[in-house]
Order: sequence, then C-alpha cells, then structure tokens
Amino acid sequence: MRNNNSKRIRLQKFFNPKTVAIIGATDRPGSVGRGLCKNLFEGRNKRKIYFVNPFKNKVLGIKTYRKITDIKEKIDLAIIAVPARVVPKIAEDCAKKGVLGVIIISSGFAETGEQGKKLQNKVKKTLKDIFLVGPNCLGVINPYTKLNASFAPQTPQKGEIAFISQSGALIDSVIDKSLDENYGFSWIISYGNEAGITLTDFLEFVCQDKNTKTIALYLEGVKDGKKFYRTLRKITQKKPVVILKGGKTKLSQRAVSSHTGSLAGEREIYSAVFKQAGAIEAESIEEMLDIAKALAWLPKCKNGIGIVTNGGGAGILTTDYCQDLGIKLTKLKQETIRKINSSSVIPSHWSKNNPVDIIGDALSDRYKIAIEALISQKDIYGLIVIQTLQIMTQPLENAKIIIETQRKWKNKPIIAVFMGGKNVKKAIKLLEKNKIPNYLDPLRAVKAMRTLVSE
Amino acid sequence: MLLTFNEAEKILKKYKIPVITTGMVSNEKETIEFSKKLGFPLVLKLDSPYILHKTDIGGVILDIKNKEELKSGLVKISKIAKKYKAEILIQKQIPGIYIIMGAKKDPVFGPLVMFGLGGIFVEILKDVSFRLAPITKTEARKMIKEIRGYKILKGYRSQKPVDINNLSKILVNLSKMIAKEKNIQEIDLNPLIVNEKKVLVVDAKIIINSKFKKQNAKQ
Repeated sequence: MRNNNSKRIRLQKFFNPKTVAIIGATDRPGSVGRGLCKNLFEGRNKRKIYFVNPFKNKVLGIKTYRKITDIKEKIDLAIIAVPARVVPKIAEDCAKKGVLGVIIISSGFAETGEQGKKLQNKVKKTLKDIFLVGPNCLGVINPYTKLNASFAPQTPQKGEIAFISQSGALIDSVIDKSLDENYGFSWIISYGNEAGITLTDFLEFVCQDKNTKTIALYLEGVKDGKKFYRTLRKITQKKPVVILKGGKTKLSQRAVSSHTGSLAGEREIYSAVFKQAGAIEAESIEEMLDIAKALAWLPKCKNGIGIVTNGGGAGILTTDYCQDLGIKLTKLKQETIRKINSSSVIPSHWSKNNPVDIIGDALSDRYKIAIEALISQKDIYGLIVIQTLQIMTQPLENAKIIIETQRKWKNKPIIAVFMGGKNVKKAIKLLEKNKIPNYLDPLRAVKAMRTLVSE
Repeated sequence: MLLTFNEAEKILKKYKIPVITTGMVSNEKETIEFSKKLGFPLVLKLDSPYILHKTDIGGVILDIKNKEELKSGLVKISKIAKKYKAEILIQKQIPGIYIIMGAKKDPVFGPLVMFGLGGIFVEILKDVSFRLAPITKTEARKMIKEIRGYKILKGYRSQKPVDINNLSKILVNLSKMIAKEKNIQEIDLNPLIVNEKKVLVVDAKIIINSKFKKQNAKQ
C-alpha cells in the first residue's frame, strides 16, 4: 500500500514536472522536435525547460546541451524525439541522469513488428523503474499547469474533460475543433504502445485528478482485457467514462464453429464490456464530446423531463427522439398549466401539454414563464429548452433566463437547443460559459440527456 | 472436438442446467418402447462428436406424430447415421419459444456468455447480448431484457410470459460453467426451449480441447 502511495506521489510529480529536457530539440521547420519545443516553451513560467541536441548550439535562441547528463539540475521529465535506433542510447543517458520519467514520442517500435518490439524491450529494460509514456505517442497535455509535452498544433482550453486516445492524430483535430467550441480539457493523453505506463494506469490517474469530471476515451483495442474491465468498472463508480471504439468491423480472429463463436465479434464483445463496466459508448467523435460535455457540466436526474420550444417542428422532433431513446416526457400538472395560463403573456392557444410550445413569436417573457412553471413541477427532473430563430427572438435574454434557472435549480439539468448559426453564436457562448451545454440539433441534445437520465 | 450428447448432459447437469429427457436408440423395438414412454410428437436426431451442423445433412426429423411416421423416420435417419457413424437420439417435442444461450473464451477478455432468441432471430437478425462471465442474476436479467425480441418472452397476443426468473438462473449457471471449465472452448445451447412452466436444453454443442477427456477421466 505504501509502495503504491509513493508511486502515486512520484507519478504526480512526473506529470507536473518542475524541470523538463527535450532530447531532439530542434528549430527545423516542419519537425516534431520544433513542435515540442514550441509547445513546452509556453509553460516556461511554470518550469525550467532544457534543450538537448549534440548538433546544435542554440534552438529557438536558447542554449542547448550535448547530452542530458551535461545538465546540472535534476530532471523530472525527459521527452525523447529522436530516431528509434538512437533511443536505446538516449535511454541509457536518462537512466544515468536519474530522471523521474520519460515520454518517448519516436515511432518505430512494437507497432512495426518483431524487430521494433525487441528495440522497445531493450529500452524498457534500460529504464527499469523510470516512468515511461509511449513510445509511438503524441505526448501529454495539461492546460491547467500549461504542460504541453506534445507536438499537437496548439494547447487546448482548460476544461473538465480528460481525453485519452490510442490515436495521436485524432487528438490534434479534437483540440483544434475544441478551440472553436466552449469546452476544454483537464488532460489530453496519447498513450502509444504502453511499454511503461498503460491505459489502465492513465485511467486511474485521471480518475484521481481533481479537475477531471468526465473521461473520454478513444481506443482500438486493449492488451489485457480482464484488467481493463476491472479498472473501468471501478472508475465508472466515481467518474463517467465515454468511449469511442475504432476498428469494430474486424471479425473474430480464430476459426469458429459455434453460433456463439461466430456472433461474438470484436464489436459485440467490446460493447458488452463497456456496458457491463458502466461506461457509455459513443458512435462518433462528435457524440463522444457531446456526451462528455453534458456529463461534465450537469447533474444526473430521474427519468421524466420537460420540453419548452418556440417551434412546433423542433418540439416534435425532440419528442420523437425522446421516445426512441426511452426518455419520458412528464405529464403537466393542472397547477403548471394554470401558472402558464394566468401569466397572460403566452397566447391562450399554447399546447397545454409537454412539449410546451410557446409559439414562434415568443419573446423572453414567455420563455421565463414556461421554464419556471415546468421546472417547479416536482416530477419534472430536467429540461430541454429549444429556440428556433425568428426575427423577434431574443437569444441573449433567453440564455440569461436559462442560466438563472439552472443556478436556482441545481439538481435539474437543463440542456439548450439554440438552433441556427451566426445569430445565436453569442448566446450559445454565454450558455456554455455558464456550463449549460447547447446542441445545434435536437437529436444530439436528446442523446446527451439520455446519459444523464437514470432508468 | 465436440462432446457427445451424453457427455454434454452430464456436465450441464453438474451446473444445474436442465436437459430434456433423451433416449439413445438403435432399433425399431427400442424406439417404439421409448415413444410409449415419452408420448408424441417426437423428434429423432443424430449424435456424433464429429458432426457440427446436423440439420444440414438431414440429421434432425421433427414433428413425428404417430407410430407410422416414427418407423419411416427411423429408417431414414438410420441410413444417415450409418454413413456418418453417428448415434440416434429420441426426444419429446415440446412447445415453447426457442432460445439460444452460448459461451466462449475470448482471447482478450476471457470467458463470456451470450443470450438470444433462437431460429431466425439469431441467424438473420443477430439479436443477441453478451457479458463477461461469470455474471450475477441481475446482470443476466439485463442481458435478457436487452435483446430486441424481449417482448416475445414477456408474452404477446395470447401467449403467456415465459419463466424469465428460471431463464436468468440458467444463464448464470452457464456463465459459471464457462468460467470454471478450463478445457471447454465454446458452448451453444441451441435450442433451449422455454414456456411458462419450464426451461429445457434440447440440443447442446460443447467444443472442448484435447485436455478435457483426460481431466474428466481422472475425476
């Protein structure tokens, strides 16, 4: 137990390093090394950065060291981005230097075949107890500590989602997209070949991270299925995990002769494992992030929600999706109907049932009345508020009403569907800054709500 | 390698998985005696550790309604049995819904169980659910509820609901069996017939590795 604790403390230190050395630091345009230098340099106020390159005196105007052992100060983290065949030598240097851990960005190891596997084992043997991320990975990023030990194009915004990915390239695009959105990340981790720290180690690590509210995971396959299942089941008790699985179509590898054998393809088994472990499976990158956002920002609730809409069509679509996905629409109580009727701002021909259609020309006062009436009904446990954009619609005012309501009713999740583009952007930003997720399509909103609602 | 019906029955009973009363017959006299004990309608089928898909070779004769049909059926299946060096089994044909329960060892995740409706539901719609084994009864119930054809089990039109409680118990037992038996690779209980009163395995395909017989001989 003590051993575990001390490992945890050392791991925390490794992931929040005070000193970092980049081995393979370069300013050659278009190189991985340059990307790493540039990204790490962003955190230069938080930690000391050392560049190592025996062929250059200066990189980005900073003095370089020939070898990591030439650096006097202790090194917490060494990032290695040199050709695979040189890595064993560098690993020896790192071991000699006594670094806390290394991230090996370089590819050309176990992912390439037997030869690479041998090389990887050699490196691992040299490093012994030194923490190892990778090889063959993009690196790790923490926007809170401004640690960008990766060659991703940019550092993402701070947020509540920890994104762990088997694919490095996918991370780059997810980050870039997120810069246009209003959510951010607590950690981004590319785990590569898992020669040292494994996927399950990372899952446990982010589970304990206080900034992480939700874990999003992209994976193609796991090495130790039983351990993965056990870890996942433990973690989902504490934090929600959303998983996107790539490579689903591959059929079962070995010759099969029973029905069970032929039906139990990779896709079916992984889906069953996710479900059994209490994780949520997403079907696309967009869906994974949609769901992660809702789970990070909103409380869970019982099944039974209300819908407020200023558009009949959007309300009907949302109702259909709710029905398909098993979300119940609560019947309105007489008192709720009376509240809306007596307000006199909502035309008397309003829908009188759930969804509450407050009619296309609704101004904010109608939203206010309807939202308040619904959310104060006891057995309405959450809301979807739809806004189609008419000429008189007041997006910003409507957003403020929703934010106010959510503040007052903390246990009832509200999801917004402000549909449109240019003219709703500001309002959406305001909503999401206040942790009300907005989705442009009702289907996305209902799918997100589905993960908040318990059976 | 497959287990014979007798061997399969023995190990299934060890795990409290009920199997339909089955006779092994080799001539007309034995067959008719059995038919008196079981009552019509009856089923005749082949049993051999080497035949994986007996329906494909005409190795199953269903819906035998009387003595005459039984006699002609026996003649027909005896020829096939001789050709494949197989035994002949006789069972009562019981009404109910056809279920498939399966289990296998996955190279990544280890033992797992499967549940689904039999016949076209499994073959064409692939309407099945999986879990890693062993499972609890709660998880077994979830597996049963998860398939699209669940409504059929709950009873539709004039049909009575089937014994889902018993079905879940058997699924739990099967999951224990695959988790415990090192030398069993794959199991198909197909079909299991379920009605409002009982659940019975009618046919079982159990694929074993070479160590199985040695281990069981020791016991």
